[in-house]
Formats: sequence, C-alpha cells, structure tokens
Amino acid sequence: MKNTLRNPYVYLLFIVPTITLYGLFFIWPMLTSAYYAFTDYVGLEGYHYVGFDNFDKAFGDPDFVASIKRNLIFIVFSVFIQVPLIIFFSLLISNVKKLQGFYKTTVFMPSILSTSVIGILWGYIYHPDIGLLNNILKIFGVDPVYWLAETRWPLPLLSILITNAWQWMGFYIVLILAAIFTIPKEINEAAEIDGATGMQKAVYLTVPLIKPIISVVIMLSIAGALRVVDIVLVMTNGGPAGETDVMASFMVNQSLTLGQYGYATAITMIIFAFALILTGLYQLSFGRQSERIEY
Amino acid sequence: MQRTYKKALPHMVLIAYVAVILIPFAFVLLSSLKTNNVEISKSPFGLPESWRFLNYKETWLNAKINVYFWNSFYLSTIAAAVGVFLAAATAFALTRMKFKQISKAIYQFILIGMLIPGNVLFIAQYLLVSKMNILDTHWALFLPYTAGALPFSVLLISAFMRSLPSELEEAAIVDGLSSPMLFVKIILPLTIPALVTMFIINFLGNWNEFLLSNFFISTDKLKTLPTGLFSLRDAYASNYAQICTGIVISVAPVLIIYTILQEKIIEGLTAGGVKG
Repeated sequence: MKNTLRNPYVYLLFIVPTITLYGLFFIWPMLTSAYYAFTDYVGLEGYHYVGFDNFDKAFGDPDFVASIKRNLIFIVFSVFIQVPLIIFFSLLISNVKKLQGFYKTTVFMPSILSTSVIGILWGYIYHPDIGLLNNILKIFGVDPVYWLAETRWPLPLLSILITNAWQWMGFYIVLILAAIFTIPKEINEAAEIDGATGMQKAVYLTVPLIKPIISVVIMLSIAGALRVVDIVLVMTNGGPAGETDVMASFMVNQSLTLGQYGYATAITMIIFAFALILTGLYQLSFGRQSERIEY
Repeated sequence: MQRTYKKALPHMVLIAYVAVILIPFAFVLLSSLKTNNVEISKSPFGLPESWRFLNYKETWLNAKINVYFWNSFYLSTIAAAVGVFLAAATAFALTRMKFKQISKAIYQFILIGMLIPGNVLFIAQYLLVSKMNILDTHWALFLPYTAGALPFSVLLISAFMRSLPSELEEAAIVDGLSSPMLFVKIILPLTIPALVTMFIINFLGNWNEFLLSNFFISTDKLKTLPTGLFSLRDAYASNYAQICTGIVISVAPVLIIYTILQEKIIEGLTAGGVKG
C-alpha cells in the first residue's frame, strides 16, 4: 500500500532534472575553476600547469590585496552600521499603527529594482555638476564634491557603500518585520500587563525572539559583501585608478577584459575560500544560537 | 502633550527615511522632463520650463527600452518558475519518499551550492556556455539562472514540506493516489506559501542580475533591462534628461507591478506555515 512512495522511477524522475542542471552549472564549473586556477589558461589550447603561481601573483599584487580590504570594509559597514539600523527601523515600523503598510512598501521598493538602474540613478545623484547632492551643497556655498572621482580620500568607496545600503536595507527590514509579526500577540499583551514600555518590549522581548532572523540577516550581509560587484562595475568600474575595485570586479576585469582566465579563476577560488572561512567562523561562533525558537 | 510627542517621534524618523528613499526618484522624474543639462543645473529642484514629454517618445523609439523590458520579464519569470517547480519536485522526493539514506546524501550534495557565491562560477560558466555554443543567446542566461535558484529553493521548500503532517498523504495513498498525483494534488497546493516566496526571491534575483547578462549577451536586441540601460547611459552621456527618461521608463512598470503584487510579496515572505 505504501509502495507508491518507494517507486524508484518516480524518485529518479523528480531528482534527475535538478541534479543534472545543478551538476552542469554548479559542480562542473566549480571543478573546472579549481582546475584552471592552477594553469596559465588564456582561452587558447596549449596551456600549462603552473602550480601556485597564480595565487602567488594575486597575493603579491598590491591592487588585489587592496581590493580584498575593500570587501572587508563592505562587511564591516554592513554588519556594524547597516544591521543595527535595519533592526532599529524594523522595530519602529512594527510599533506604529498608522502608515505601517506605507513605510514597509516604500523602504522595500529599492530592492526590487535592478542594481544597474540604481547605479545609474545614483551616478546621477552624485554627478559633480548637475547632481542632487552637489546642488544641495551649493545652497550652503560648498564647492562641487567629486563623489565618485575623489582621489585624496576614499569618498568613492563610501558613496558606493551608501548606495548599496540604500538599495538593500529595506529588503532586510521586511524580512525582520515578517519575523516580528509571527510573535504571538499574547506574549506582547502579557508584557504590557506586566507594565513593560514600548522600549522595554523591543529590547527584552522582540529582539531576543527574532535572534534567528537577525542571524540570517547578518549571514546574508556577509555573503552579499563578499559577492558585491554589479554596483561597482556600474558606478565606477573600479575607478578612479582602481580605488573602488573589490575582489570580484578585479576578477571580472582580469578575465573578460584582459583574457587572463587562469589568473582570474585563481581569484575566484580566493573569493570562495573567503566565503567559506567567514561563513564557517560565523556558524561556529554565532550560528549555534540561531536554533529554532518555540513559543 | 508628552503622549502626542511620543507618538509622533517614530513617524518623524520614518518619514525622514522614506524621504531619503523617494527624493532620488522625484529628482529623476523632474529631470526627465527638462530640456537639457543646462536647465537641470540652473534649477535642479524647479519644475521643468516646458514639460518635455518628447523625451519619452525619443527614448522609447531610439533606445529599445520595450525590448529590454520584455527580455528581462520573460527570462526572469520562466527561469524562476522552472527553478521553483524543479526544486519542489526534488524536495518532495527527498522529504516524503522512502529513500532516507540516499535522500540525505543528495540533500547535502545540493546544499554545497549554497556555499558557492555566484560570481565564483562566473568565468567557468562563461567558458562552459561558450563551449556549449549558446553564448549570446538567452539560453546562456536561462540555464544558469534556473540552476542558480536550485540550492536555496530545495532547502526552503524541503523545510516547508517536512512540516506537513504525514497523515495527509497516508489518507491519500489509501485512496489510491500515485506519487506524482500525490505531489501535484496534495503536497504542491499545501506548499504554495513557500513556492510563492521562492518564486519572488528567484524572480527578483534574475531581474536584478547584471554580471552574466552584461558579459554573456552582446547582441543589442537580446539584452535585458539592467544591461540595456547601462549601454543607454553611455550612448546618451551628454544628455541627462534623456538618461532620466530611460530610468523612469524602466522603473515605472516595475513599480506598477510592485503596487499590485506587494501584498503577495510580503505575504510570501511572511507566510509561516499551514494552519492545522
């Protein structure tokens, strides 16, 4: 009678398409990447095994090392500036009654737009002559600021970080709001009867109960910060003079612009290693706390 | 007095945040109706002198925004739908069918994909699609988009399916339903909240995708919205009024879809489980 759930043909039918597609576009590229990373492949036949040369070259290249640092700045900015703001705004939105839907819809909006459009839009906001920001500053008599071209201090990187935060914060706010709304009303009511203020409820009740989702948001932020590339390519293409290059934009320019496939795949392996190490460390230190919460 | 102040404060903070989100859009919308850069820099916050709606006609006709939009729309939709369907079928086999050991192994194998950031595979996928002779076709985007959605979709849908009570299918099997029918008629409808969530996440991911689209597609009429607008910016670099028109045309339809679907999007994200 229960044999229908033991039918191996049905099982294969349900599994094989997924495994094929996943194997071809995930596992196979992963394996070939690991292979090309140790060669001097430039898109032609007759390439050679070169051992760890590509990796030596990468870590000996000051431009690449600088781009690693910029990914770390992205992580620090997301985790220590964006995430607290995300939690703060989520709590605010969850506590207001009027306009709640409006706030939620509006803050989420930028994350449904493509990064390229956002990059073009903000490129215009940052435009030195006609951009919104310099026009506001002009009212106060400030000289034009070169938001995306300043070379004396890392303003272009900061400009990109702000644009990135502008785009993605709302997405995480909605994720956290969803978790806040699943907290049973009875818990809030009980706290109110006990005389807890809005602030106390937020700090002692809501935040501990949404810890798992905060954990997820931090994980997603770290992964996003290591992956970041679109916004850099669209807004500055790594410029001025490589000042805003991150690992992935450096990799893209090495591969498709310069044809250094071997070298560039070695860089993708480095990005992968970073992703594994950081998510692994995070899982070990904080992931354990994010066990399921029962009400 | 104190009370009103306390009630108003959160709204003031939130209105400020909303303003930061909306002002760039307002600025772009106003600029799109101005004549040229000179007028924009003369009165950046003023209304246009002569409401130049002609900008829209010119951008629409010359810049092929409609073609890019359609390409983006159908690719994102089909890739997201196929990905979710395949993931649901696999999740069903892994969580509800009686092959415990091998299911566990396959599940772990698929989850490896979660550890691999997409752009790590970028070069190898580029070399793969050029070897498959599908470079510069929509297959070069459809296949990686669909495959890219699988690991997380399988994870989320499996988690959801595990929470469904097994009495459901026991009753159905007693009634003589086969596994595929059980999947389609009983499990799939119950899993809809998770499927909607996954579809939205995948659709947005495909919609926003820039890297593959920019480097795997070179024919202009095959470009998607993100890359099409990117090349538009370079073509119209001296006329920001025109570029703003392009931004508005590409953003407006998405915002309209969003106002219609927003409840589904938020519902999808919040849907916790089947009430039993």
